[in-house]
Amino acid sequence: MYTHLVIAAGFNVGDMLFYAILFLLLMWIVKIFAWKPITKMMQDRSTKIANDIDSAEKSRNDAAKLAKERADALQNSHDEATKIVSDAEQAGQKRRDTIISDAQNDAKGLKDKAHKDIEQEREDALASTKDDVADLSIEIASKIIKKNLNADDQKALIDSYIEGLGNPNESR
Amino acid sequence: MEPTRTFQFLGLTFNVSNMISGVIVAVILFAFIFVCSRNLQLKPKGKQNLLEYMIDFTNGIIKSTIGNDAPKKYGLWAFTLFYFILIANLLGLFIHIQVGNIVYVKSPTADPIVALTFSLMSLTFAMYSGVEKLGYKGHFKGFLQPVFLFLPINLLEELTNFLTLGIRVYGNIFAGELLAGIIANLAFSNGLWLVPVAAPLELAWQGFSVFIGCIQAYVFVTLSSVYVSQKLSIEE
Repeated sequence: MYTHLVIAAGFNVGDMLFYAILFLLLMWIVKIFAWKPITKMMQDRSTKIANDIDSAEKSRNDAAKLAKERADALQNSHDEATKIVSDAEQAGQKRRDTIISDAQNDAKGLKDKAHKDIEQEREDALASTKDDVADLSIEIASKIIKKNLNADDQKALIDSYIEGLGNPNESR
Repeated sequence: MEPTRTFQFLGLTFNVSNMISGVIVAVILFAFIFVCSRNLQLKPKGKQNLLEYMIDFTNGIIKSTIGNDAPKKYGLWAFTLFYFILIANLLGLFIHIQVGNIVYVKSPTADPIVALTFSLMSLTFAMYSGVEKLGYKGHFKGFLQPVFLFLPINLLEELTNFLTLGIRVYGNIFAGELLAGIIANLAFSNGLWLVPVAAPLELAWQGFSVFIGCIQAYVFVTLSSVYVSQKLSIEE
């Protein structure tokens, strides 16, 4: 019963050979069917994960850069818009000023012309009045002559008339 | 021990029981691995995860003993060795085929010849790895360390490594099967009334044997890789 406990008891070299060959054969087919593909897959996975981490980092940086660019562009367009508005305001101010000054000049010219015209009118009126007075005096003279007035009286009368008419302020 | 069926071939003695059991273990292991390694995907799921976990486990053993780049070279060896011995240890717990009084299927590692075959293979592999890395001169100089007087001790150490590695597994598994058989005999030895007593006992012992089988497979592979690493790193 205890022969099995003695190592030399069942020393079957055939078994040893059989197990050695069996084990090597098993190792070989495991290598072909499972070990090679699965270690390759694990290797692929680790490289893929490493690549993914790298590319994620890269795209994160790209996104940050892009966002910064956008913000800068927005800031620039703000500045530009402000500049355009202020330019337009300035141009409008200038245009208003020129319009006003033109209008003032025009108004001044018109006023001067009106003054001149009035003066002319007045002078014309005065001249015609003088003529009228002359006619009238001649008429008066002829009437007085008809009434036999002496020459001195007549002259004095005419002079007083002319004097009165010659002062326009008084006549008004 | 119960008689075994043997035959002679080319002057060598073959044990039919060991051959059948060994082939069964190899077939179970290969079938499992084959099924798990179909449809490999970059994003693993289910059975592929399981297989990768198994590989990572044995890779972890040799990483911790040999070095971080060891799995590339020794991964396949440790993987096959561990799972072969694991299944061999556990086979006898759930399959035990006996025709007449001749056992045909049992744990192969419950036979000292098989256990010692594996330990011899491990030691041979360790020496082969040492020679491969350090050359014959560097390898055999290792036996003279620290001084040449240690040569007999070193040689004896090789022998004891070989014996303890094999007999440790054999002893544990053989004892497990022996006790399981004794409990089974007890159940029917004195009428059926002993069955309710023996069944829980057998159940507990089977569970414990599973535990022992796993531990022994782990110990075997760990020690084998330690021997490999010793042969690889002999001081100059």
